[in-house]
Amino acid sequence: MSGSEAGLPPGRPAGPAADPLAAERTALAWRRTALALLGGSLAAGRLLQPTLGGAAWGVAGVGVVLAVLVLAVAHRRRVLARADARDPAHPHGVVGGGRLVTVTAAGTALLGLCGVLLVARG
Amino acid sequence: MPSPVVPDPTAGRRPRWVYSVGAEPDARFSLANERTFLAWVRTALALLAAGVALEALALPIHPGLRLAAAVVLVVLGAVAAPAAWIGWARAERAMRRGDALPAPTSFAVLVVGVALAGVLVLLGVLLA
Repeated sequence: MSGSEAGLPPGRPAGPAADPLAAERTALAWRRTALALLGGSLAAGRLLQPTLGGAAWGVAGVGVVLAVLVLAVAHRRRVLARADARDPAHPHGVVGGGRLVTVTAAGTALLGLCGVLLVARG
Repeated sequence: MPSPVVPDPTAGRRPRWVYSVGAEPDARFSLANERTFLAWVRTALALLAAGVALEALALPIHPGLRLAAAVVLVVLGAVAAPAAWIGWARAERAMRRGDALPAPTSFAVLVVGVALAGVLVLLGVLLA
């Protein structure tokens, strides 16, 4: 492997091994977002109950499952990033496509619909 | 001379219209793009919480203006989630192609909406 870990030129696929803190920051950002989703989902379940009845807890359940999924993926990525930092020759590829991004956006949009519903019903 | 065949690390990634073009950017840039997306998601959740709280807490504000502010905030929050996803996908695609990053289209909507909600709440407090 040519080039020291610190001296990689920008634009070259360097991987989180070159900057483990970037992976760490990203894992923390996922974690913060998961906690916000968790809080938002539980609040939505509580507030929607008079309007939707039992279905409100279904909405909350979707949000809680999503938040737990995000926490799990963030944890897994953190573990992999640490492994990459220890052994840069065998990277795991910590940047993982757009599936979790898409699911997170969809879950937030669902909470958004709940919010619109709540405010519209007064 | 053809370039050597390397197994495509992006093969299973979705959405295809993002990952089927260009080359893998520096992972740090993709991670930064993800964090930006997550910041937008949290902004969306904060807007939703603010809008819902405004109505749920029955604050001593002019009811019509309070409802209007709540609607503005909640609609902004609901729109911010898909906007965050579109922004993430467009930025990732641009980075893969080596293009300039797309202009941030959601900023103006967010700023105008939050300012409008603030003015409505202020008027609501004054008229209460």
